[in-house]
Amino acid sequence: MQLDEIAKPLGVFVVVVLVALAGTAILSLVAGGGSAPDGQNVQGQSPGQYQPDAVNEEPDPEEGNLSVGTPEGEKKILIDTGHSNRFEADELEPMVEALAEAGHEVDVGTGSQAGGGGFGQTGYNETLQEYDALLVISPQAPFTEGERKAIDKYVGGGGRVVVLGEATQPSVSSGRFGLSLSQETFGANGMTENFGMRMGADVLYNLDDDATDNNFKQIYAETSSGGILTEEVDTINLDVSGYIVPVGDTDATVKYTAAEGTRALESDRTGEYPVVVRNEGVVFVADSEFVERSEVYDADNEVFVSNIMQFLVSGTKPDDVPESPSSDGGFGGGTPSPSSDR
Amino acid sequence: MAMHNDSTSTSTVVYVVVVVVAVLVASVLAPVVWSATQGSDGADRSTVSVITLRGGTGSANVASVADDLREARNNDSVGAVVLRMDSSGGPVGSSEELYMAVNRTAQEMPVVAYVEGTAASGGYYGIAPTDAIYVKPSSVVGSVGVIATVPEIIEQQNDIGQVVIRSGPDKATLTVDEVRTTVEEFQNTFVGTVMKHRGDELTVSETEVSRAGVYTGTHAVENGFADEIGSLDSAIERAANESEEIEGDSYDVEYKEPVVPSFGLFLFEEDVDRQDGKILVVERTDETDDEFVQPVKYYAVWGVLEDRTVNGQQEVTTNATG
Repeated sequence: MQLDEIAKPLGVFVVVVLVALAGTAILSLVAGGGSAPDGQNVQGQSPGQYQPDAVNEEPDPEEGNLSVGTPEGEKKILIDTGHSNRFEADELEPMVEALAEAGHEVDVGTGSQAGGGGFGQTGYNETLQEYDALLVISPQAPFTEGERKAIDKYVGGGGRVVVLGEATQPSVSSGRFGLSLSQETFGANGMTENFGMRMGADVLYNLDDDATDNNFKQIYAETSSGGILTEEVDTINLDVSGYIVPVGDTDATVKYTAAEGTRALESDRTGEYPVVVRNEGVVFVADSEFVERSEVYDADNEVFVSNIMQFLVSGTKPDDVPESPSSDGGFGGGTPSPSSDR
Repeated sequence: MAMHNDSTSTSTVVYVVVVVVAVLVASVLAPVVWSATQGSDGADRSTVSVITLRGGTGSANVASVADDLREARNNDSVGAVVLRMDSSGGPVGSSEELYMAVNRTAQEMPVVAYVEGTAASGGYYGIAPTDAIYVKPSSVVGSVGVIATVPEIIEQQNDIGQVVIRSGPDKATLTVDEVRTTVEEFQNTFVGTVMKHRGDELTVSETEVSRAGVYTGTHAVENGFADEIGSLDSAIERAANESEEIEGDSYDVEYKEPVVPSFGLFLFEEDVDRQDGKILVVERTDETDDEFVQPVKYYAVWGVLEDRTVNGQQEVTTNATG
C-alpha cells in the first residue's frame, strides 16, 4: 500500500512531464526544426570585376634593336658631366654599345670636367672642338655664359647637341644614412633658351590606359612632324616626362607631342604638350629616362633612340669649331641670348 | 466509509500536487527542449547588428569584422547590419577579404555603412557593396587607388639576385615594369569594384574615380561616393527600414565590440605584438628574424608611408593621391 501510494503519483509525475516535454518538442519541430548543416551557410563568390579579363594588363613588349650608322663617318661624342648631371653611366650602356659597334667614340665627361672645376670659355671651346656631338643628360647646374656662347658657336658651325632633361620633381636618393628627398630641377634653361625652348614647369600624366604603359606617369607621345627623329616611329614611352615651352621668335619644330588627354600634374591642365623639339642642330627631349636600360626597348623607344644617335653622328662640324673667343663672331648660328641662365 | 472518503480526498490532493509540480517542472524544462529542437532558425529577425572597424584593414581587423558578419548572417535574429567605419585602408589582400565578407552579407540582408571618421582606400573598398553609405560633413571617403613599396633600389635587389644560385632568370628578381603592371591590375579590380557597386550613384566618371582623390562628406554626397549625411542612428534606422524582417521600430540594436584596438594611420594591427594595459607593443614585420623579406608589398591606403626608410622601403609608384 505504501509502495502504491508512492509509485502511482510518481508515475503520474513522470507521465505528465514526459507528455509536456514531448509536446514541446513536437511543437518546436513543427514550428521549424533543427539547425542547418554548415554547408547550407557556405556560399562562395567570384565577382565579375575580379576575373582575368577585367583585370590583367600586359606591359609593353620589349622588342627591337638599337642601331646607328656612319652617315658622315666615325664621330666623337661627349656626354656632359660638368653640370651636376643626374644619370648613371651604366644606364647608358645599351646606347654607348650601339655607337661603339658602329665605330663611333663616346666619352663620358673628360679629365678636366671630372675635376668639377668651372670652365673658362676658352677651355670649354677647346673641349668641344674635340667632339662632333654633345649629349647633355639631366643637367642640374646652369651653363655659364661662356659655355653658352661656346655652344652657340658649336651648333652654328655644324656641331650637334642633344639635351635630355627632367622637369622639376621630387627625387629620392639613397646614401649612407638612408633615403633622402630632394628637388630635382632642370638647370640648363639658359642654354636651351638660346635655341628658343625651355623646360616646362610641371610633369605630365595621363589617366587613359591606352595612353600609358601601366602607370599614369608613363605617358605615350606621338610624332608631330617628319624628319630624322621620327622615322619609323609611331609612339614613344616617357617616364615622368616634362614638356617643352617655345620661347621667343623661334624656328624650333615640335617632333613629338604627348598623347591626347595628357595633363600637367600640379596645375592639372590639359593641353598639347611638346615633349621633343628640334631647332636645327639642337634636340631637346623633356625626359631623360627613356634611354636607360629598363625603358629603352618600351614602345618604339629603341627606334627613337636610334634616330637620336643617328642625329648625333650626322653633323658636319669642322675641327676648329667652336673657335676660341679671341676671334669671336666668326660663326653665324645661334644668336646669343641676353637672358639669365635659369 | 468516512475513512475511505478521507483516503480518496488525500490521494486526490496528492495527485493534484504531483500534477502541479510536474507542470511546473515541465514549464521550466520546456524552453530548453524548445531551443534544443528549434536550432537557430525560426526566430523573428528583430536585431540590427552594428559592426565596427576602427583602424587599418589589415588581416586581424578584417578577420574580426568578417567573423561578426558571418555571425550576423547565421543568426536569424539579425535582420540588418550597420558597418561603422573609421579606416584608411591597409594591405590590398586583406582589403579584398573585407570586400568579399561585406559583399556576401549584403547579398543576404541590408547592410548600411556609417563613416565615423574615414573610409578611404581599403576602407572604402569594404563599404562599396553596402546598400547605403552615411557620412558626416567631416567624414573622408575615396582614395580608390593602390600603392606599392619595394626595396630601396630595385637594381640592388637584382644584383643580390645575381649572386645567389637561382632556378630561373625571373626567380628572386624584380623590375619596375612588373611592379607597375601589378599596381595597375590591383587598381583595375578596385576601380571595377567601386564602379560595379556605386556606378549608378556616382556622378563622376570611372577615370575620375581612378584619380584616387578623397572627398569630405558633403562633397561625397554630391558626387555619389556616399548617399546621405547622417548619424550612426540614421544608418541604424535606414538599415531597419530596408530589412524585410523588421517591422516598424520594434527591433533591438546589438553593438559588436571591435576586437583589436588600433589607431593611427599606419599602425597596422598585424604589427601589434601584444597589448599591455593601454600600451600596444609593436613588432614591425620587417624586423623579424626572417632571412627573407617579401620584396614588394601592395597597399590600398590613404596617407603617406611612415618611417619606411627604417625598413629599407620606399614608395616607387602611386596614384595621384596614393
